[in-house]
Amino acid sequence: MVMDIHFEQVGFTYQPGTPFEQRALYDIDLEIAAGSYTAIVGHTGSGKSTLLQHLNALLKPTSGTVTIGERKIIATTDNKNLKPIRKKVGIVFQFPEAQLFEETVAKDIAFGPKNFGVSEEAAKALAQEYLNLVGLDASYMERSPFDLSGGQMRRVAIAGVLAMEPEVLVLDEPTAGLDPKGRKDMMEMFLRLHQEKNIAIVLVTHLMDDVANFADYVYVLEKGALVKSGRPVDVFQDVTWVQEKQIGVPMATEFALRLQEKGMRFDRLPITADELAEMLLAGGGVK
Amino acid sequence: MMNKLIFGRYIPGDSLIHRLDPRAKLIASFYFIAVIFFANNWQSYAFLAVFTLGCIALSKVKISFFIRGVKPLIWLILFTVLLQVLFTTGGNILWHWWVFTVTDYGLMNGAFIFCRFILIIFMSTLLTLTTAPLELSDAIEYILRPLNVVHFPVHEVSLMLSIALRFVPTLMDETEKIMNAQRARGVDFGEGSLVQKMKAIIPLLIPLFVSSFNRAEDLATAMEARGYSGGEGRTKYRKLDWHLKDSMVVVVFAVVTILLILIRN
Repeated sequence: MVMDIHFEQVGFTYQPGTPFEQRALYDIDLEIAAGSYTAIVGHTGSGKSTLLQHLNALLKPTSGTVTIGERKIIATTDNKNLKPIRKKVGIVFQFPEAQLFEETVAKDIAFGPKNFGVSEEAAKALAQEYLNLVGLDASYMERSPFDLSGGQMRRVAIAGVLAMEPEVLVLDEPTAGLDPKGRKDMMEMFLRLHQEKNIAIVLVTHLMDDVANFADYVYVLEKGALVKSGRPVDVFQDVTWVQEKQIGVPMATEFALRLQEKGMRFDRLPITADELAEMLLAGGGVK
Repeated sequence: MMNKLIFGRYIPGDSLIHRLDPRAKLIASFYFIAVIFFANNWQSYAFLAVFTLGCIALSKVKISFFIRGVKPLIWLILFTVLLQVLFTTGGNILWHWWVFTVTDYGLMNGAFIFCRFILIIFMSTLLTLTTAPLELSDAIEYILRPLNVVHFPVHEVSLMLSIALRFVPTLMDETEKIMNAQRARGVDFGEGSLVQKMKAIIPLLIPLFVSSFNRAEDLATAMEARGYSGGEGRTKYRKLDWHLKDSMVVVVFAVVTILLILIRN
């Protein structure tokens, strides 16, 4: 089955009908195709986290329709039988290390698969496989997750979601609070998963360099509404608009902009360091 | 889950009741709960109901809020009322079957208990809806102060209270987050048999405890680093001011008490 996720006029309100009522999403239309790499960006409080909880029906839209694979989720959908969706769409929440609870790393990683009916043995094999994938060796299997360092806990937590073998992987700022090397390793691991296993990735981030380097498509949210979408190359061309929305531009774009001020010309602004280097080497940039 | 809970929440606002000194409000609510037991006939309950509604009107908070605050407790209230109605003896017997007797006296008592519950809940909801949690803990600290004489650790208790109050919303958020994370890993909360339900709580409870320990450690370190060394010799940033309107509360309640005593049998 192809796992496309489709939003149609999705709106969401927190605590409707009370004085604490808060509108978080307005008429969102978006599409996450199977095997794609999508980034969702926006200022703090723009509704990114609310939106991503719609991707596996943790929240149900108060208006509009979310279609996940074959399932249609509307306001009145009941909470039963959502498990198949949750298995297909794995979410790595912000600071996922807070979700660890088992006695050993192996048990914690196997917890997800076992909930979805994988046998004890197969789950253990999965735990082993994904522990390796996130860069920890087998000696960690029997250790308590609470004895690990912060970065290692993060890896174990991510392995726990990966072990469910989702077709869509949703990442909410997966590298927040990691050191530069950990950040790079992790982003490369996600890219490998995306390329080798054809997993669709939805990345929520504040780091525009990650958007530029990895994503095929980007959605920009502002105050709960979708204000722009397109390929990163196109979205970042309109630098003034992007800066107005306070989401920043990739480093390479910013640098190219400075060069432009000094008199260099670019046909279009580069968004990654490689692209910038190529443009400069081609000499096209020089006046 | 927590969204339905109105009782114990604070709604920021700017009304006469919001601006009252928290000590006045706290004492007044406790006093009201004591005074309500003086009421023993229709007139006195009607009088107290009018008074309570008056206070609610002054707070500018919608009455529907208070009614919603009663909802979670309604079954408990009805159960108590029912017991009262069915088992009270004395007065004219209206209906009798096996051990159950309904008398006019019992019916009246049931109605009174119902009113008493509702009025108490309304008044305490009014207190929490209009008083910020930190104001409340300041008020409690002030009121407990005399207990210092008997070496009761007033400062420590009030510090714990204010920290606890401050972290209630944080912990609620955290609970929600962990619940979502575990749901995404295939946990069904509140489904299946009792044993299954209990088991589903473990992946929520353990991370919550662990993060509380970590939080406590970080907070203690941060407090020490900022020079906290206990209650001795501290000054206060938030000062409570007793104004004329707070004295008026005392007068109003005195008048209410006198009227109530005149009205009751």
